[in-house]
Amino acid sequence: MSSKFQYDLVALVIFALVVAFGVPAVMNYDGFELNTFARYLALAIVSMALSLSWGTAGLLNLGQAATFGMGSYAMAMHLKLRASDGLPDFMGWNNVETLPWLWVPFESLTFTLLAGLLVPAFIGGLIAIFMFRARIAGVFVAIITLAFLVAFQLLFINQQGLTGGQNGLTGLAQMSLFGWTVDPYSMGFYNLVAGCLVVALAFGVYLTHSKFGLILRAIREDADRARFFGYNVASYQTLVFCISAALAGWAGMLYTLVLEFASPTYMSVSFSLAIVIWCAVGGRESVSAAAFGAIVVNMLEGRLSDVFVEGWHLILGVIFVLVVMFMPRGIYGLLSDSVQKIRRIRRTRDQRSVETFPNT
Amino acid sequence: MEQLQVTDLQVEFGGLRAVDGLSFSVQEGEILCLLGPNGAGKSTTLDLICGKTQPTDGSIQLNGVEISQMLEFRRARLGIGRKFQVPSVYKNLTVDENLSVARSRRPGMWNALTRLSLTDAREAASILDRVNLGAKRHEMAGNLSHGETQWLEIAMLIAQDSKLILMDEPTAGMTIQETERTAEIFRSLSDNHTLIVVEHDMSFVRTVADRIIVMNRGAMLAEGTIEEIEANEDVKTAYLGH
Repeated sequence: MSSKFQYDLVALVIFALVVAFGVPAVMNYDGFELNTFARYLALAIVSMALSLSWGTAGLLNLGQAATFGMGSYAMAMHLKLRASDGLPDFMGWNNVETLPWLWVPFESLTFTLLAGLLVPAFIGGLIAIFMFRARIAGVFVAIITLAFLVAFQLLFINQQGLTGGQNGLTGLAQMSLFGWTVDPYSMGFYNLVAGCLVVALAFGVYLTHSKFGLILRAIREDADRARFFGYNVASYQTLVFCISAALAGWAGMLYTLVLEFASPTYMSVSFSLAIVIWCAVGGRESVSAAAFGAIVVNMLEGRLSDVFVEGWHLILGVIFVLVVMFMPRGIYGLLSDSVQKIRRIRRTRDQRSVETFPNT
Repeated sequence: MEQLQVTDLQVEFGGLRAVDGLSFSVQEGEILCLLGPNGAGKSTTLDLICGKTQPTDGSIQLNGVEISQMLEFRRARLGIGRKFQVPSVYKNLTVDENLSVARSRRPGMWNALTRLSLTDAREAASILDRVNLGAKRHEMAGNLSHGETQWLEIAMLIAQDSKLILMDEPTAGMTIQETERTAEIFRSLSDNHTLIVVEHDMSFVRTVADRIIVMNRGAMLAEGTIEEIEANEDVKTAYLGH
């Protein structure tokens, strides 16, 4: 086991303990505060998902919000059906007479949970196959995924009878899981979201330290060299895209549960860019750092908008610019660089003392 | 048995024929050296065999299988390894990690998902001692000296364990001692590998080559043992320009 793996595991355990026990205690077990923090945790999952494709494999996916939105809508469709007798209300306003076939299977919770993971993975994988088989790389990946996001959001809003259009899906029921009605303002719900995040992070840490993660880092640095070792680069890139999309879908499902509605703004360009910012602030090379970045930035956003009602956007913008200028690898980069610096100083000091006292 | 059979190989870059009607074959366990002046098409020939460049005409057969239209990773899986002229190791990975990437006997994703990143490097650890890099296992490959980088890439090729290894100027930038050590390793490699080596260092060629092919302007000029090549008039003309 490499020392880096050990550091990542320690970071993960500390992270899990703080999120599971520290945060609720600080929040005084207050339902509203816990709900707000659960929202940050759900966003942390999507940020961590981006760090897998961007940080590890070097593929900047600007369409992450689209897969997040798919998960979010999958959950919302299920809860909307549970809240209405027969036809959801907005369909009546749009002259839709019968329940569209696309909605029918969402009566089942099992199907919904699977769809929230697999539909994003499938669509993400489809785009990935076309891109990576054609050996598209670098900034073009960002452009194509961004274009997909814009087209997808437009399509979604236009299908008003099917998706609720600009209004999204509101008036949702609460999910019931094995007879437990999930109240988004309860400690139990907070634990569910926190548990999901920790599981996702553990999976991410394993993935980055498996040989799969190593090959992805090798591909990021020199894809051609990896091909000459016999690795099918396109299929590695496609798989990490699928995994990242599935995790984003998972985060989207939790997000709907937290906010109790789904909106097309979840698929907006600005939301997608926000994910990139969280990931960059935390540090895209580590999944835990990316999750941490999402939580920090969102907390900051919440606090700043309370204190500076007018100018908080400006302050946040300045902070981002400073991060990009002085911490290009995010908080994680700052930490790992300083650890290395301390080690180097210590090593040279040890060597010097050996040289001065050769007999000791 | 012929391991590699190249027939009438040709490639054109915008009107320039870098390789023009080249035919040769390599026996199993042989060390074949490619010589020739700059621009003779030696590196391009290696590029064509490993799949970096697609030929415009001709055929390349590995153990009787036509590979000239295959994607490079499929050729690598069939047993072709390549060392590049500019040492290409992963500078942002450690020496161990580089070795782990190179050890690609099972390059599929399932295998990659179920193994930790350094498991393969541990299995291949003895290779690093063989090239005197045992002490630098945790060093970033970007911090190695030029000679050490060359060694690392050679170690990676040994770890990859391809049947046919293509070496492009493996001793460039090495000291005399390092070159001698490389020659030793090459000789021991030829027990169960076939090597095609592009090299300018004549003393190195003299020690390792079983057979030599001299290329000029994309075609074969002469073929034979080192003594035959040194006595060949055409070769002298091509090199000295008379």
